[in-house]
Amino acid sequence: MEIKVIGISGSPHRHGNTETLLDSFLKGTHASGATIEKVVLKTLQYSPCRGCNACHKTGECIVNDDAIILYEKILTSDCLAIASPIYTMGITAELKGFIDRQQYLWARKFILKTLYFSDDCIKRHKGIFISTAGLGWENVFDGAFPVITALFNTTGFEYYDNMIANDMDQYDGIKNHPTALKDAFDKGMKIVGILEKLKTG
Amino acid sequence: MPIKVLAFAGSPRRHGNSETLLDWVLASMSEGQDVTIEKIALTEADINPCRGCNACEKLNKCIQRDGMDIWHDKIIEADCIILSSPIYCMGIASQPKALIDRAQVFRSRKYVLKLPIVPLERKGKRLGVFLATAGQNWSYVFDAAVPSVKCFFHVIDIKDADIFYLMINGVDEKGAIEYHPSAKTDADKLGKAVIAKLKTRLAM
Repeated sequence: MEIKVIGISGSPHRHGNTETLLDSFLKGTHASGATIEKVVLKTLQYSPCRGCNACHKTGECIVNDDAIILYEKILTSDCLAIASPIYTMGITAELKGFIDRQQYLWARKFILKTLYFSDDCIKRHKGIFISTAGLGWENVFDGAFPVITALFNTTGFEYYDNMIANDMDQYDGIKNHPTALKDAFDKGMKIVGILEKLKTG
Repeated sequence: MPIKVLAFAGSPRRHGNSETLLDWVLASMSEGQDVTIEKIALTEADINPCRGCNACEKLNKCIQRDGMDIWHDKIIEADCIILSSPIYCMGIASQPKALIDRAQVFRSRKYVLKLPIVPLERKGKRLGVFLATAGQNWSYVFDAAVPSVKCFFHVIDIKDADIFYLMINGVDEKGAIEYHPSAKTDADKLGKAVIAKLKTRLAM
């Protein structure tokens, strides 16, 4: 039973704290036998949503670029790990630009009714949010959660877990965090078994 | 005393609901004497996203050369800064998020390098306005946008008490805001209130 995991890094900063945490999660899933694909948004060519609402009539985006290719990959994955650092109390502009492009799927679901995910299907698709923040405030991820929820809802993933670590400035990087990297690896290992069970059961 | 207003229209859709709301506020402001208004649509502002390199913490400037070179100076010169954005996927659109993230240079200046944002005689006098529209009519639809917007105003030295908000939900299709029962009146009142407050402050 092949489990496909797609990990998307929304950080403009290569191999920083958030991408390292994502890597750890992906390594965990790979250790459990999952097929993994990692995509770094910064290396793709896509433009933000134009808000033209043309997709409300057609269910297709008028802009055909890497964002659409990535959404098609997401729709064939069992696990979606979406990663972004927190910049000014929210996800990065790169990831927000990508998430806003999901409007064509939203239109298919809610306007055209050509896309539907059953409760059972949603349960078999797990969404994970991976994030780090420089600040130690407890509320530092609050602005990100609703946007990530919107992404998982539209693409048919259950919002399964967060792997988040704040106070990076104090730790001087994720590598010095006492638990975050190991936790992400362990959770990655575990989720593959859970998904396999759901798929065969 | 002239009043300078700098307005960022954050929507990628030109002349849609959030920009209309902004235009109403600006029209009301422009009725005041000695008010100069500059409005820019972020789709034409040439602002790249922040690269997260943190170089501004040392250099006190951004290493990227783009439209932000101009907007950086204009943000400092303005007495009132207005940002408008539609809500997409429960957050502000990516274009205004890019502007907000690029304000990192002000954050570095203020909190890391401990340098002033505006000259002492203008400190504490500036006002900020956030205007937003959302298609959904959920009451919490603006909740994720507000913390980022607050950060933006804080780092350019505009404190919580000096930020005005007008956020209209339940307007989706282009032009829907025209039929909203109170948006236009509220925008008109807001524009006048902000100018009146600035006049008092700048006369001090």
